[in-house]
Amino acid sequence: MLQYLVILLDDSSTSFCHYDSKDEHNLISIEDLKEAIFFGMKENLMIQFVYPDYPLPQVYLDTIESIDHSKIMSSKNENSSDADVVIIHSLGEFSKAELQEGKVYTLQITIADFNQIMSVIKSKKANYQRLNIVLKDVDKCTENDLVQYKNILQQLAIWYKEQLYSNNILQINLLSDRIMLDKMNNCEAGNETITLAPNGKFYVCPAFYYDNPEDSVGDLKRGLDIRNPQLYKIGYAPICRICDAYQCKRCIWLNKKTTLEVNTPSHEQCVAAHLERNASRNLLGELQNLGVFEDKSIPELDYLDPFDKANNWK
Amino acid sequence: MTEIIKENSPSWQSGIAKSITFIVTKDCQLACKYCYLVGKNISERMSFETAKKAIDYILGHEDMFREESVIFDFIGGEPFLEIDLIDQICDYLKTEMYRLNHHWFNSYRFSFSTNGINYHEKKVQDFIKKNASHVSIGITIDGTEKKHDMNRVYKLTERGSYKDVVRNIPLWLEQFPNASTKVTVSSPDLPYIVESVLHLYSLGIHEVNINVVFEDVWQEGDDAVFEQQLIKLADIIIDQGYYKDYACSFFSENIGKPMDRERDNNNWCGAGKMLSVDAAGNFYPCTRFAQYSLRDKKALIIGNVETGINENILRPFLTLDRCTQSPEECLDCEVASGCAWCQGENYDAAQTNTIYQRAAAICKMHKARVRANNYYWNKLYRKLELEGKREEFEKNKRQNIESIC
Repeated sequence: MLQYLVILLDDSSTSFCHYDSKDEHNLISIEDLKEAIFFGMKENLMIQFVYPDYPLPQVYLDTIESIDHSKIMSSKNENSSDADVVIIHSLGEFSKAELQEGKVYTLQITIADFNQIMSVIKSKKANYQRLNIVLKDVDKCTENDLVQYKNILQQLAIWYKEQLYSNNILQINLLSDRIMLDKMNNCEAGNETITLAPNGKFYVCPAFYYDNPEDSVGDLKRGLDIRNPQLYKIGYAPICRICDAYQCKRCIWLNKKTTLEVNTPSHEQCVAAHLERNASRNLLGELQNLGVFEDKSIPELDYLDPFDKANNWK
Repeated sequence: MTEIIKENSPSWQSGIAKSITFIVTKDCQLACKYCYLVGKNISERMSFETAKKAIDYILGHEDMFREESVIFDFIGGEPFLEIDLIDQICDYLKTEMYRLNHHWFNSYRFSFSTNGINYHEKKVQDFIKKNASHVSIGITIDGTEKKHDMNRVYKLTERGSYKDVVRNIPLWLEQFPNASTKVTVSSPDLPYIVESVLHLYSLGIHEVNINVVFEDVWQEGDDAVFEQQLIKLADIIIDQGYYKDYACSFFSENIGKPMDRERDNNNWCGAGKMLSVDAAGNFYPCTRFAQYSLRDKKALIIGNVETGINENILRPFLTLDRCTQSPEECLDCEVASGCAWCQGENYDAAQTNTIYQRAAAICKMHKARVRANNYYWNKLYRKLELEGKREEFEKNKRQNIESIC
């Protein structure tokens, strides 16, 4: 069931996930913005506005404030202190950013830069509420990259444990989410979340818009028209429905890009998610020694890709 | 074993053989009206260099191809138009399998589906003799001259091809006495099913593998015509005792039963477990995903002879199951078993670019088949019972072998 409406205010709205947005400005029309808000209200959807870095006209700001919403902004936006989620686009940017206390950040990072993350993360004051780390090029990871990913996750877990021991209760998505979750909590694009682009058309997620504007699933005039909507649900994803890497993004766009099906993740996405899951499992074991999270359990697995779990698939 | 009822035979090493198809040409002498190959042409002929690269890749990756046996399938168009190339490919395959001590060397077969027109030619016959124990050939003949020539016509003259095919049937049956033929039935062919099957029996073909096309070609009332034809055929097969020596795949004891969502959840189609390669050196999960087979969709390429197979693109094929791709009406269907689908047609007909949307165009035709099939078995069992042979049949009957495409 749809719950969220993401509205891209401009073609240059900040990217907050695996995809790249555009540099060119193309602001949504004020009529479409109003219509989109009206649609969200009628469908009872929580609206998330994704901002460009430049200042919006006052009439847009006033219109946005007419509805309860969340703000997603880049750290380059001069109003990012107002954002609910601030996006940092690289490790270099992260190293220079002045992190605000209690804020939620999303750090987009390449696998190459992830290898350098520890020195940067240790150099920053961990005063934020939550850090979402998006491995932007997970689809291009080699087996060696994934081995390295595992090693860095272990180092990150040691640092994170020290934060918790010193009573700094922040969240790192790659490590804390799996400990807290009891069921899948993925991106849910096309199922719980839908995106409206500046052209007035709906898309499964922003990535589908930037990848191919022809790939829309309806518009503000005709409404939503998602074909084969069942394929966005976990029950119709043979690999994911038997998986317990609950924190996995299960990126629908990367699925489509790498396997040509929205319901099937690539080997690389599965392995990366399981390395995170296993790092969470090791961390949980250590935390349980201190008497916390004793009701939580993450079982040991003998595979990193659920595709390998069922022999009859090969 | 005494065989009271002749049943359709399972294919060679069914279920344990890898099927690797070389699309050697997209040309054919014929332009069959029901042909699913909508993009046939004379320009896309495979070079030996491309075939060699494909073979080097496949035999060089034994860990990816672990099936016990292999069927090297050659299709077109009409494969025997490229008999010189095929001979060269097969020689190279044999040499390389031997040189590499490959586990397929002692368990391989060369398979052909041909229109039969140049079956008698010296080059084809020389090839058959040279590879005798490793060759299987199916000639497609649709039945009577009238029925055959309705669809299977030459591409330029539109002249029927029956006479040019039927003259080769005796030679074919002499070389392959247990050969079966494949018959495809579309909407205009329905009134001719009975006479066609009986005609094929009269030619000495004891196994007729016949199916209705998966495409959405069916007209209002076709299911009634189909059912009438099958009931008439059932009466003749039983009353005249054909069931003892002849088989027709329309009649099977295992169709028309409800299917359990968990126990009976396998995919019907073998796409993805098979491999096809075309003249451009592209790999496909099955020939039906090559561009010349598709009406509305782009080819679904899983790799090529230069870069190899992209295993990520194979994952949806290998994890696909019956329930995930089927609409609720199929899952709730009380006569679901035996209702087949073609993954390529599903992909071509789907509303999005997915293999996870099952096309159900044959629904009414399957139900008609089930009704006639029930009639056939009720009538046959009663006859066997009255003749005191039912118990013997029950004891000796073959276990269900589900035929996977």
